[in-house]
Amino acid sequence: MKATLTTCPYCGTGCNFYLQSDDRGRLLGVEPAGGHPVSRGQLCVKGWNAHAFVDHPDRLTVPLVRAGKELKPAAWEQALDLVHEQLHGIADRHGPDSLMFLSSAKVSNEENYLLMKLARAGYGTNNIDHCARLCHSSTVTGLVETLGSGAMTNSLSCFDETELVFVIGSNTTEQHPLIGSRILQAVRRGARLIVADSRKIRLAGHADLHLRQRNGTDVALLNGMMRQILEDGLEDRQFIAERTENFAALKQSLAPYTPEHAAAITGLEPGQIIAAARLFAGVDRAMIVYAMGITQHSHGVDNVRAVSNLALLTGNLGRPGTGVNPLRGQNNVQGACDMGALPDVYSGYQRVADPAARQKFSIAWGKALPESPGMMATHALEAAAAGKIRGMLILGENPMLSEANQGLVRRALEQLDFLAVIDIFRTETAELADVILPAACYAEKDGTFTSTERRVQLGRKAVDPPGAALADWQLICELLQRCGVKSDYADPAEIMAEIATLTPGYGGIGYARLENAGLQWPCPDHAHPGTPILHREQCTRGKGRFSPVDYRPSAELPDASYPLLLNTGRTNFHWHTGTMTRRSHLLDREERGAFVEIHPDDAKKLHISARQKVRISSRRGSIVAAAQLTERVPVGQVFIPFHFVEGAANALTNNALDPESGIPEFKVCAVRIEPC
Amino acid sequence: MLKAVSKTDLPNLFDRIAAKYSLQVPMRLADGTRLLRPWQSGELSLDGAPLQQKPTSFFFPQTELLLTISAAGKIGMPTPEEKPLALFGLSRPDLAGIAFLDRFFSTQPADEHYLRRRCNALLIGLAGEVGPDGRWQSPAGKNCDFELIAIGNGFQAQAFSAAGEDWLSPYPAANPSALTEIQRNVETEEKRQTARLQQAARLLEQDLVPDRFWEEIASRCILCSGCNLVCPTCNCFGVQDRRRGKDVERSRVWDSCQFDAFMREASGHNPLGTEALRTRRRIHHKLVADPQRWGELGCVACGRCDRTCPTGIGIFALVEEMLNRYGGSLSAD
Repeated sequence: MKATLTTCPYCGTGCNFYLQSDDRGRLLGVEPAGGHPVSRGQLCVKGWNAHAFVDHPDRLTVPLVRAGKELKPAAWEQALDLVHEQLHGIADRHGPDSLMFLSSAKVSNEENYLLMKLARAGYGTNNIDHCARLCHSSTVTGLVETLGSGAMTNSLSCFDETELVFVIGSNTTEQHPLIGSRILQAVRRGARLIVADSRKIRLAGHADLHLRQRNGTDVALLNGMMRQILEDGLEDRQFIAERTENFAALKQSLAPYTPEHAAAITGLEPGQIIAAARLFAGVDRAMIVYAMGITQHSHGVDNVRAVSNLALLTGNLGRPGTGVNPLRGQNNVQGACDMGALPDVYSGYQRVADPAARQKFSIAWGKALPESPGMMATHALEAAAAGKIRGMLILGENPMLSEANQGLVRRALEQLDFLAVIDIFRTETAELADVILPAACYAEKDGTFTSTERRVQLGRKAVDPPGAALADWQLICELLQRCGVKSDYADPAEIMAEIATLTPGYGGIGYARLENAGLQWPCPDHAHPGTPILHREQCTRGKGRFSPVDYRPSAELPDASYPLLLNTGRTNFHWHTGTMTRRSHLLDREERGAFVEIHPDDAKKLHISARQKVRISSRRGSIVAAAQLTERVPVGQVFIPFHFVEGAANALTNNALDPESGIPEFKVCAVRIEPC
Repeated sequence: MLKAVSKTDLPNLFDRIAAKYSLQVPMRLADGTRLLRPWQSGELSLDGAPLQQKPTSFFFPQTELLLTISAAGKIGMPTPEEKPLALFGLSRPDLAGIAFLDRFFSTQPADEHYLRRRCNALLIGLAGEVGPDGRWQSPAGKNCDFELIAIGNGFQAQAFSAAGEDWLSPYPAANPSALTEIQRNVETEEKRQTARLQQAARLLEQDLVPDRFWEEIASRCILCSGCNLVCPTCNCFGVQDRRRGKDVERSRVWDSCQFDAFMREASGHNPLGTEALRTRRRIHHKLVADPQRWGELGCVACGRCDRTCPTGIGIFALVEEMLNRYGGSLSAD
C-alpha cells in the first residue's frame, strides 16, 4: 500500500488528500489530509470519490488517428508528426491566426504554461484560451479594472474571522462544498448571512436574508443596496477618501436606484433591499462571495464591477474577514489564467501588446512572438463556424457540452480542416477529432495547481498512466520540439523554474517550497512567505476604482412563445460534462441522467408529474429530461444541470456574449416545456 | 503476564515481526496527518493525534476487486498478498472497530474477502501516554494480540492471544504494581462520552427526538458521506461491475446510507427519501439498531465522524445537541 499526498482534481477549493494505492499500482481510495489548512481532514463527496474514475476501462490508452469515419490506433511518433504537420501546414497556408488552442483548467500550471508557449512561440499565434472564458473572464476583466487583480482577494481562513458573508450567485455548499461548510460554520458561531440567489439553495435556509432576485438583475440589486447605504450614511468615508477614486461618479450613477426602482427590476420588495443594505453595511468585516451567478451573463463584467463597488464603498477590502471573493470553479482555473492560457496575456498577466513583455518572452523562448492579442474561445468557435479558424488543438476540454449553443459548437468543430484533442476519455468533442492523444490524469503525473485562494500546491503522481498515455507536459514538449522550441525539461519542477523567472507573482515559487501546504501568490522571491490577503495597504492598481454601472436586461427573456426562464449550472454529485463523475460508480448512481427542476405550480399548469420525461426547447435546440418537481426554483424558472449528454442543457443556452469578457449568458435564456 | 518493553527494544521487535508480516506502524506525514505506513518506510510516530484513517480499511478497503470473469466464463480470484498484515499503533476505539467488523463479516454467510486478510493478521494495541501532547489513552485490554502501554520511557506490554504471548516472550516481567497504575489511569472523558451516547440512545428508544430536529440537522449536511466512510463500524458496500477488455471485473466499494440512491427503488420512490430521514437513520442505526442486533453501541467513540464532518454534525456533536434539547424529558429507567 502506498499513500500519495496530492491536490483534489475537482473544484478550486484546493483540498488535499492521500491517494491510496495497492502494490499492483491500482487506486483503492482516498483519505483526507488531516493537517492541511484547507481540507483539515475533510472532503466533499466528489473528493471522497476522486479515485474512482482513474482506472476506468474507458480511459484512452493509445493515440488515435482518423481514417475515414473511424479513429484507429497509431504510434506516438505518427500521431504527433501528423498533429504538427497539420497545424504547421494550416499556419503556412492561412496564417498562424487560423489556428486556435484551447488549454485546460484541469491540467497543471506547467502544462498550461507550455501550451501557451507552444501556441505563441511554436505556431506564432496568440489564439489561446480556456474555459475561464466561460466562468471567470468577467471577474478578470472587472476586477483588474477596479482593483488591479482578478483574483480572490482574501483567504479561506477569513471565513473564521468574518462577521457577515454575502453570497450572491454561488451555490457554495454544492460547488465548493468545503467553502460552503466554512460559511455554515461561520453562521453557527454567530456570523450573519445574506444569500442572493433565485434558487432556494442550501445556504438560503441558514440566511438572515434570502433575496430571490430575478436572474440577471444583480446590478439593480447591488446598486439599490449601495444607494441605500449612502442614504443611511453607512459608507466607509475614510476608506473612500484614502483608498479609492471616482466616488462622485458612482454616487451620481446610483441616484435612480431607489428601493422601489430596484425592487421593480429585481422582483424583490423594497424593504428587502433596504434590509440587505443595512445588514451588510452594519458590520465591520463582511465578505462578498460570488461565482457563476454573477459572471455568466451578457453583462457579467458589469455585475463584477457592482460587486467591487459595494466592497469599496463599505471598506471591505485588504483586511481579514473581508474582500471580494470570486470562487474559482476548476481546480486550476486560477493557475491556467496565471500561466497566460489567455489570448491577451503571457504568464503573470503580462500583456502581449506590451513591447517590453513581448521582448522578455521572446528572448527567453528564442522566437519572435506575435503582437496582436488573440481570439477568445467563444469568438473562436464563431470564427470556426464561419471558416476563419481552420485548425484547433483542444487540451482537456469538452466544448461540445460545456459551451453555449451546442448546435453552433458542432458546426464549428465539424467545419475545421483539422482538430486534435488531448484527453483522458473519448469525449463528445474527441469524437469529432482527426487525432486523439491519450493523456495521464491528475493521479498519474506531477505538477502544480493554483486554488481559488491563490494557493499554489503540488499534485503528485500516485500511479502510472494507462497504456501508452503520456502526461500532457510530455506530449506538449514533443510538439514544442517539432517546432524547434526549447523543450528539454527533465520534469515539471524544471518547467516551474522557468515560469518563476518570467512571472513576477510566481518568482518565489519552487517545488521545494511547496511541500507542505503550498504558497499563496504573489510570492515574488524565494524569501517571500506568500500573500494570504491582497490589497492590504493599497490596491494592486494603486487606488481602488469605483466603476459605475447601469442595469442592462439579459439578451433573451421569456415571452409568449418561450415562457420560462432557463437557468443552468451544476449539481453536488457531478462535475461539468460528466466525463469523470459519470464514470465514478457512487456519483453516477446518485444522479443517473438529465433532469429539469421545475416549480410544482408550473408543473401543474403544464400537466407534468414527478419524474415524467418532458421536452424542453429554446430557439436553439430541444432536449428531453426528467421533470424534478421542486420549490428550489421559483415559479417561472427551470434549472437544468449541464452534465448530461443525453439532455444537454447547452443545446438550449444562448451564446449571447458579454461584449468585454466574451462570456456567454448561461444563466438566462427563454424556453418552453411540454410533456413527452 | 505483564511484560516490560523498553523503547530501544521496539526496532528489534518490529524487525522480527516485519520478517513474517507486512507491518504497518504510525507515521506522521508531510502535512501532519498520522497514518499507518510500512515499517522502515519513514519515521515512527508513537504519539499525537489519532490515526487519520480507520485501520479497518486494511481489511475492508474503499475499493476492493472481488473477482474477474473471463469471456469464457472462467472466474479468477485476486492474488492474495504475500505476507499477512500486522498493524501496530491501534487505539482502544480502533480495536473495538475491528472487533465489530470481525463479528459482522464472520457472521454467516461469512465474508471470505474480509477474512482472508483478517484471519492471519496480527493486531498490536498502543495506549498510555501517546495521545496529543502525551495525554493518556486508555488501554483496550482486549481485541488484540498484544498491547503496549506507554508509561515514562518504556512500555508495559500485555498479551491477549497465544501469538501475542510468543512475541512478548523475550521480554522480562514488569513490576506487578504497574498494572494497578494502568487501571487507575482510566480516562474519565471516555467514560463520559460513552455515558452520553447511551443516554442519547435512550432518548431515541423513547422516541423523544422530534422530526424537526432531524430536519434542522439535515439542513446542515452537505452530503459528503464522510461520516460513513470514516466510521470503523460502517460496513455497507455497493457492487460495481466494469468490463475491461474481454473480462468483467467485479469490485465492491464503500457505500453510504446518506446517499439518496442507497435506498432508492427502481421506480424512483425512496422509503428514506429525505435527508432528514437519512440523517436520523445514521444515528438511530448506531445507537439503537446496533445494540438491538449486537448488544452494544455501533459507535466505538473514535471521534472520526466528528473530525471529518465539514459542518459539525458528527455523532458526538449530535448527541450533545439532542441531550441539551431533549435530555430533560428522559425518563429515569
